[in-house]
Amino acid sequence: MTRHFKVQLVFFFRLIVGIIFIYASIDKITHPAAFATAIGNYHAVPFGLENMMAMVLPWLELLVGVCLIAGIMVDGAAIMCIVMNIVFIFAISQALARGISIECGCFSVSTETGDNIGLETILRDIAYLVMSFVILYRNEKRLEFFPKPV
Amino acid sequence: MDIRTPIGQAVFLVSISCIIGFGSNLVKGDAIPWIAPELEIADSIIPETESNDPVLLAISLNQAKNLFDDGILFVDARDDGYYTAGHIQGALKNAFLMELIFSIEAIQEKNVPLVVYCGDPGCGDSEDLAYDLQDSGFNKLYVFKGGWLEWSKAEYPSETDE
Repeated sequence: MTRHFKVQLVFFFRLIVGIIFIYASIDKITHPAAFATAIGNYHAVPFGLENMMAMVLPWLELLVGVCLIAGIMVDGAAIMCIVMNIVFIFAISQALARGISIECGCFSVSTETGDNIGLETILRDIAYLVMSFVILYRNEKRLEFFPKPV
Repeated sequence: MDIRTPIGQAVFLVSISCIIGFGSNLVKGDAIPWIAPELEIADSIIPETESNDPVLLAISLNQAKNLFDDGILFVDARDDGYYTAGHIQGALKNAFLMELIFSIEAIQEKNVPLVVYCGDPGCGDSEDLAYDLQDSGFNKLYVFKGGWLEWSKAEYPSETDE
């Protein structure tokens, strides 16, 4: 794999993951109550903390997406992508293992347009996870503006 | 916190998200409570149809059976496959929300009591559907938390679509 191709691949992954995270955040930011219900359906968050998660998580997704595309704090954004995708994979897996049939709440929190969780949801998150690792462990830092690559 | 380090950047992103997320919830018109409220459990059930006071309560197996004996409509919030394999006798099948609303309205008014259930006490579909129905104007909703698991164990009236 040539050096030029690797740089382009990393930038392509940054764009893909960034756009997906921004897209995923919009419906959740506009419908926090529905997103809190979607989180609650997983029965994986204790003490009624799903509401606080519903307040913070969409903004984190939006910020991470913007940072990846804009080339700002790419390392930190990639770490948060990895953490979020691991949490998503765990939440979906435990729901599937318990035989719970619920809406994913991944991109849309509406019960009419949302997808149900399934194996394909986990595979999709694994793909994002792999892309996030490629971004974090990139050799060259191109098209990044803060912190300035040394 | 040094935001030149990857961990510092991650902590910074989480902190900013908390500030924006909590802050925007404070100023928004449709703010949600900090801690999600548990669905209240019904002490006693008086299936009044005269009053328009909204009701959204969790009920036990015995209360569900009493409502069943009173001829109250049940809605199964599970997927097709589970419904086909076995459901509470006479329960309506879950569908797209609008389709379900039309089906219920063809049978009864919006202020007539309705019981929603799903698979077991751990599933959230019944509560989810109950909130959707409440948003659509139904105001006497009971969530049978024990669901199909408790009902079938008790060998109460049920049927299959096979």
